[in-house]
Amino acid sequence: MVAALPYPTKRDEAWRYAPHKVLAALTFDDSVSEGAVATESLSGQIPALDGPRIVLVGGVVDVSLSRLDALPTGLTLITFEQARSETPELLEAHFAHDDEHPLDTFAALNQAFGEHGAVIDVADGQTIDTPIQIVDLALADVSGNASSSGVVIRLGARASATVVETRLGEGESGGSNVRTTTTIGDNANLRHIVLQDMASTQVHLGSAKARLGAASILEVHLFNLGARYGRFGYDVVLAGDGATAELNGLYFGAGDQILDQQINAVHDAPNCTSRQSFRGILDNESTGVFNGGIDVRPGADGTDAEQSNNNLLLSDRAEANTQPRLEILADEVACKHGATVGQLDADALYYMRTRGIPTEDARRLLIQGFADQAVDALEDEVLRNWILERLRDDG
Amino acid sequence: MLHVENLTAAIDGKSILNGLDLDIGLDEVHAIMGPNGSGKSTFAHALAGRDGYDIGGTATLDGVDLLDLEPEERAAAGVFVGFQYPVEIPGVNNMYFLRTAVNSVRRTRGDTEIGARDFLAVAQKAMDLVEMKEDFLHRAVNAGFSGGEKKRNEILQMAVMEPRLAVLDETDSGLDIDALRIVASGVNALRGPERSMIVITHYQRLLDYIKPDFVHVLVDGRIVESGDHTLALQLEKHGYADFVNHDLDDAPERPLSEAAR
Repeated sequence: MVAALPYPTKRDEAWRYAPHKVLAALTFDDSVSEGAVATESLSGQIPALDGPRIVLVGGVVDVSLSRLDALPTGLTLITFEQARSETPELLEAHFAHDDEHPLDTFAALNQAFGEHGAVIDVADGQTIDTPIQIVDLALADVSGNASSSGVVIRLGARASATVVETRLGEGESGGSNVRTTTTIGDNANLRHIVLQDMASTQVHLGSAKARLGAASILEVHLFNLGARYGRFGYDVVLAGDGATAELNGLYFGAGDQILDQQINAVHDAPNCTSRQSFRGILDNESTGVFNGGIDVRPGADGTDAEQSNNNLLLSDRAEANTQPRLEILADEVACKHGATVGQLDADALYYMRTRGIPTEDARRLLIQGFADQAVDALEDEVLRNWILERLRDDG
Repeated sequence: MLHVENLTAAIDGKSILNGLDLDIGLDEVHAIMGPNGSGKSTFAHALAGRDGYDIGGTATLDGVDLLDLEPEERAAAGVFVGFQYPVEIPGVNNMYFLRTAVNSVRRTRGDTEIGARDFLAVAQKAMDLVEMKEDFLHRAVNAGFSGGEKKRNEILQMAVMEPRLAVLDETDSGLDIDALRIVASGVNALRGPERSMIVITHYQRLLDYIKPDFVHVLVDGRIVESGDHTLALQLEKHGYADFVNHDLDDAPERPLSEAAR
């Protein structure tokens, strides 16, 4: 199966800006855990959330770092291994071969090798107030291994939950290849927050597929910050009447980072709403990519879809690439898209300096202000602070 | 207090200020009036320190040479310019911006910084002055503000920054009569023995509310006439034509023979 898939090249629109030599040097062997990670070192790096969590280290679940006791009523939080023996049906969607929405090469590699992962299952009608955290920590690996792991999220009808995925890595090489499969029941409500902050020498390949039931709501906040090549593909299929998907993202690149977002909203049922709002800040020689698709299938009448991508270039060597793709095959459809690429507002800098604020502080305020419009939407203060601190370190 | 002598400013080789002289003492309000294109805004920007001008001459505040300073250093020296077109800064909270401004100036001067709680009291007082509701502080700086709100925000900034010299550039432009009254009463409340002001305006209207001690007429980048507040009334009646030796778009019509005089 894997061997049959062609390796992506610059000719593939979705892989046009990827560093192909860096990707070619990666290996995708079975996951290995090469050493323990101290709890203290981990807690300094991830958002200080209480509540349940599963931590994967080098692609393998580390039970000692996870918090699986005293789970709230209605929440099942187990490893892939447990699911295989107890509730294999929960893994079906993740390992299924879907000809209509095929996986790309790296996601297919993940499907072949990513035997470890976390399963989140919320029973019908249950509301889980505490954010559920999944942490994926990629270890240094001399063979350049990109550890494969997976996350499965299933919300029953009328269920509600917040899932925070934090993806980190240490070391000079390798990285991680993480795939998330989400199924949201009718009238259910999921907030899915992804924080990617790998070492700037590593590669992160993230992909997520979500299927939304009728009148359900998916709210995504994607923060693509770390890695030499940080890629995130998020595909949403609005499969039930009246579903809503809000996909928000922020990418902040420096050095020679390439931060690549491949976003798709597929309207496959009538009266669904999708919003894509992505902001990029690019310094030095970094590259940002936003490839955003709105795909309105026949019969998806009454679709309301919008997309925006705004980029702030902090250096004349930084690059923002934005590509909207709209395919509309239904009636009574409202679709909007817009993109901007700009620099720090010289008038605003001058204005702030006349108010006594030194240039460097003024720059930082303006950058934070631009980012804030993406960060603001996060209700959880712990997460907001984690992001703002990370942005301060960078700005 | 402010001493300006033979100030020149040019941009892209085009000279705009052509030897401006002005002396301002403490606790004085000076109005600078002039036709469009006479250099009024350029004078404000030259004092604030905007990039892009070739500047010559002298401008000192309390003996400190302003022209050698960066804009933020001029603010710390006590210069405040209220702009004709205040800039919108999306994503930056107005309250946070104000406190950052005040503390930046304090830091530069070597003073202790003001904490969030103490600053709130300062901000409240300033808000009352310009009749603004508290939600104003929690919005982004000028983002989506109406013309009147932007100008009131400038006066609010002036109030919290407590400058030595306030230069208000066409603060009256785009204001309806209520906003004009609020802005003017804010300005009047900030007049005092520690401070002086330059009020730049095209129309006499603002000077009904803010009574200047001196009025100057700026034409072609030079002050061509100075007087007391009655000069403004005279300008209102006769326009700038008496002071201009060429045609002006906004000057009243008059015979060519007179213009050539």
